Amino acid sequence: MAAAGGLRSAGWRLWRGRAVVRCQQYPPLRALQASAALRRASDEHRKEPLASSSQQHFDSPPDGHQPEQKPQGPHPSYTGQGGQESEDYESEEQLQHRILTAALEFVPEHGWTAEAIAEGAKTLGLSVAAAGLFHSDGSELILHFVSECNTKLSELLRKEQKLVQLGEAEKKPLDEFLRDAVEARLRMLIPYIEKWPQALSVLLLPRNIPSSLNLLTSMIDDIWHYAGDQSTDFNWYTRRAVLTGIYNTTELVMMQDSSPGFEDTWRFLENRVADAMTMSNTASQVQSTGEAVVQGLMGAAVTVSNAETNR
Amino acid sequence: WTLDNWSQNPVIDRILRVDHAGEFGANRIYAGQMAVLGRSSVGPLIQQMWNQEKDHLKKFNELMVAYRVRPTVLLPFWNVAGFVLGAGSALLGKKGAMACTVAVEESISEHYNNQIRTLIEEDPEKYKELLQVIKQFRDDEQEHHDIGLEHDAEAAPAYSVLKTAIQLGCKVAIFLSERI
Repeated sequence: MAAAGGLRSAGWRLWRGRAVVRCQQYPPLRALQASAALRRASDEHRKEPLASSSQQHFDSPPDGHQPEQKPQGPHPSYTGQGGQESEDYESEEQLQHRILTAALEFVPEHGWTAEAIAEGAKTLGLSVAAAGLFHSDGSELILHFVSECNTKLSELLRKEQKLVQLGEAEKKPLDEFLRDAVEARLRMLIPYIEKWPQALSVLLLPRNIPSSLNLLTSMIDDIWHYAGDQSTDFNWYTRRAVLTGIYNTTELVMMQDSSPGFEDTWRFLENRVADAMTMSNTASQVQSTGEAVVQGLMGAAVTVSNAETNR
Repeated sequence: WTLDNWSQNPVIDRILRVDHAGEFGANRIYAGQMAVLGRSSVGPLIQQMWNQEKDHLKKFNELMVAYRVRPTVLLPFWNVAGFVLGAGSALLGKKGAMACTVAVEESISEHYNNQIRTLIEEDPEKYKELLQVIKQFRDDEQEHHDIGLEHDAEAAPAYSVLKTAIQLGCKVAIFLSERI
């Protein structure tokens, strides 16, 4: 049907637009006035290095942080405001985003803390007081990291799907697809693995649970979408619940894993996915056996009643 | 208090979720009616209306996948409730079944009209195809409603009580399915 095809492509366009803005929309947690004031202060601070002392800006290659003339192009702006700003004005969201991204490289050393954020702010030429924009337990940093990982995963899955559509790659069987997707996502934790348990406990704080749950569910939904799930009945929930369980348990195993290259974790993952496949096969077998039994009983009842009437 | 959190387009999300639930429920209602009245004189008529609902459901299944909408968690409940309503109304006789059809189809037509208004207010261009689908389905449901009336729905036992109760149930179902 043309209508269905048109709607389907509309759905794809909607979805693709989503993938970029899909990042979690969690609200900035400090008053706008405070951060605006801070930004003015850091603006003044920034102007000075351009004139005088900050050789480090120009001598060392600016990998990822450049002198503050224009904000870079594709910032995944959480609220979509970024695209509407004029070129030399950076929104609050974009600024926080850049600080948090810069802070990530200091996490292995300082943990998910205000120190890491302060170091990140310093590399951008901002005052260390910029860390005051964020909570002291590093919640925003962790949520930012998770959101970035999810975006990367979506990109990866989207590219893979494109390759399959173009016929350049084979379509993976379901268990392999799920296994690879979860593994790819968990591998993004490896640089931060030492401090990750701390991050997990912060994500479980009641204040953060709506956001972290949201991020988790949208990631799992993404994986199933690219796996080709088209269920519109209760299976929709069952599948996501099962995959969430697999992801969470594998993540916990990974925290404890000291084997080379985390091979124990990947083996654990493989077994869990295989279990899930077996369970679903068993479930459908049980159902068809049940239906067959019911039919048999109905047949027997009809036979008996016929026998009775014919007697 | 919805679970809209991760939906990119809450308007479409709600609309498709509740419509999908509605067509699913309608399917089960006709299934229940057929289970009781399948071999009676109105059997073929109910079967025909049921087939149209099956087409509607198929269409919404496709739309749900295209827009990546979460189905309502109450589906198993609507599965049973729909069948019980259909079978129960059919046990009141052919007129009872027709009365149930009239009540449900009237609720659904009104509901689709509301959605059409909402979509037109939002952005008629963007939602053009969805609007087309909903308008078509609204016309189909209206037709079912008229068929029910033609077949003496109003002569059913306790018609007004039955109709009010069923329509109240439909309102509750719509309210819940939009949100959970």
